[in-house]
Amino acid sequence: MNNEELLFSSIAEVLGVPKSSINEKSSQDNIKKWDSLAIVNIVSELELVFGVQFDILEIVEFYSVEVIKVILIGKGLKF
Amino acid sequence: MHYPKKWPRALKKTVSQAYETKKLNDVRIALKKTDEQVRNEHEQIVNIGILRTFTIETLLECLRLSLTTIPCNPNITLGEIENIEQELFNKESIFLKSSPDFIYILWRLEELLPNLMWNIDSMSLEQRRDSFDMLVDRINQIISQYQGSAPLIISTFSVPDYWKSSLHDKHRSYGIVEIVSRLNLFLYEQASFGSIKIFDMAQWLSSVGELAVNKKMDFYARQPIAARYALSFADFFSQVVRTLLTTKSKVLAIDLDNTLWGGVLGEDGIENLNIGKDYPANVYWRIQQVVYALKSRGIVLVLLSKNNITDVTMAFDSLSMPLKLSDFSVVKANWKSKYANLIDASEELSLGIDSFVFLDDQLFEQEEMNAFLPSVEVISNSGDPLNLLESLSDNYFFDSFLIGQEDLVRNEDYKNQVSRKNLENELDRETFLTSLDLKANIDSVNDANLNRVMQMISKTNQFNLTTKRHSISSVKKLMSIKDNILLTISLCDKFGDQGIIGLCIAINSSKPKKELIIDTFLLSCRALGRDAEDALWCGLIRHSNNMGYEFLRASYLASSKNMQVAGFYNRMGMSPEANKDEKNIQYTLNLPQQENCPEWIDIRFMEIINEQ
Repeated sequence: MNNEELLFSSIAEVLGVPKSSINEKSSQDNIKKWDSLAIVNIVSELELVFGVQFDILEIVEFYSVEVIKVILIGKGLKF
Repeated sequence: MHYPKKWPRALKKTVSQAYETKKLNDVRIALKKTDEQVRNEHEQIVNIGILRTFTIETLLECLRLSLTTIPCNPNITLGEIENIEQELFNKESIFLKSSPDFIYILWRLEELLPNLMWNIDSMSLEQRRDSFDMLVDRINQIISQYQGSAPLIISTFSVPDYWKSSLHDKHRSYGIVEIVSRLNLFLYEQASFGSIKIFDMAQWLSSVGELAVNKKMDFYARQPIAARYALSFADFFSQVVRTLLTTKSKVLAIDLDNTLWGGVLGEDGIENLNIGKDYPANVYWRIQQVVYALKSRGIVLVLLSKNNITDVTMAFDSLSMPLKLSDFSVVKANWKSKYANLIDASEELSLGIDSFVFLDDQLFEQEEMNAFLPSVEVISNSGDPLNLLESLSDNYFFDSFLIGQEDLVRNEDYKNQVSRKNLENELDRETFLTSLDLKANIDSVNDANLNRVMQMISKTNQFNLTTKRHSISSVKKLMSIKDNILLTISLCDKFGDQGIIGLCIAINSSKPKKELIIDTFLLSCRALGRDAEDALWCGLIRHSNNMGYEFLRASYLASSKNMQVAGFYNRMGMSPEANKDEKNIQYTLNLPQQENCPEWIDIRFMEIINEQ
């Protein structure tokens, strides 16, 4: 599984939605379950899965897959 | 990790995986599997209510998984953040309507005294003390006003992060650190009075370390527990419920060679056994100290050793060790299999096999016990002495909230039980009972015996007609009503004093016709077989007659463990009402009745009834 697949599947698992429903365009705007508590879980899960730490200002931007991907790229992950 | 014995191996593996990876998705998979495979198997439904000053929503799945391993079927209801009193005292609250069986209060100083937290340096000593007093008053009010039957489980306080390294705070009166200590002391005191149970969150935080708090998530969502530590938190959380729900094991059956000392007695000889103050002998010394401590708090010790009894006796006589051979209620040193010896010991002690825990360094012995007596709890260990010690210290089979006088004399009592059994085998029943020289005291429930009463209410399963688990506040309320009858019975015989072994609670029904309803009638299993229940019944009848009651009502509520008392009220002369429900049989009896006290018990009735 490459990093993109890993990112999509981790977010899908945390949100409890089918893996196929998560793509780069997925966000709080189009996924109802993506609320503030889900963000806490997404942050914790991605920190575990990718072995990274997000800082507090980055978490504020955890509203879409696209932005999360950019943050992860900023931490040296290849997509 | 400890799993229910009946869980399939594959399920245990899935749950272990979740504990290993700590990934939310693995926790969810494990929960789904437990839901599918064991949740439907009539597991006890347990409603847990949590009141809190911070967010724990994201921990709920971990909490559910941990609680499921008790085993039980947990439903968790959260109160609104910081709405502790509103949720607890408003009968219409959704929280109370969820009928919690256990209520947790999780709080932090940060949310309870924010002004003190950040302005303390500019506050006078008097102001600091006032802040503390105010919070203690608030906690006190919560505890004293709470009348529900669900145990109140309250978390201890930790020093907030900012103040942990402050030196000046530690050198002033009523600083944050001192206030936290005083608050925890207050909570421990309340727990010692039996008003609350402690969830020692401060101790959990200090044992797991600073990484357990995720400051980022605390700022972001007021969710301080780090995801990586969620299952550890959940296990610590479940420990209280587990201890309240499950019956404490009563007996430690323990091996000798390479378990209580290093070496094999028959091969190495007494002089070469490893037990003493130097390594590795000091590890075995500590194991013996732990076993002795268990004995001191009422755990019955049984020695199971494949050795000649003469060699074992000689070794205990020759060596200076924490344990003496006389500390064991039963000693089985022979060449029979351990499980066969355990069955014999269980019969001699009149204790069920399922109340035994087994510790042995040999994997073969552990496996054999698991295979032949699956209801015995085997303490799994590798045989390495340090691992033996840790496995013995870290298990929760013997956890309890209270150690009373009855626990302290239990070992002696069970030794007496073996003597009674030997005598019983020699004589017919009536001669045997008469020869015991039995004396019973019937007394009222009072402040002095309340702890023991609560212990019996929470733990007695077999001889328990209704299995009602009253809280201390509801028992106190029943005590305060003059027309109720609350009796205890204590028993002694020529072998020893067993202390309080039975309880009866009968409630005035408040009907014009003077009617009494038996709410609770129970007897400790240690006292079975000597008609102590007849003596307690006799006490109830005497006091009902004296108080002018005309009618007695009772019910037998069947549980999975109280089949043996299904016919008790019939035997006492009560008439069953026509009812098809075998699990809830109603009985009635017209009063006054003649007291039929057992002839072989010298019964002393204390001046009662309700002194409140």
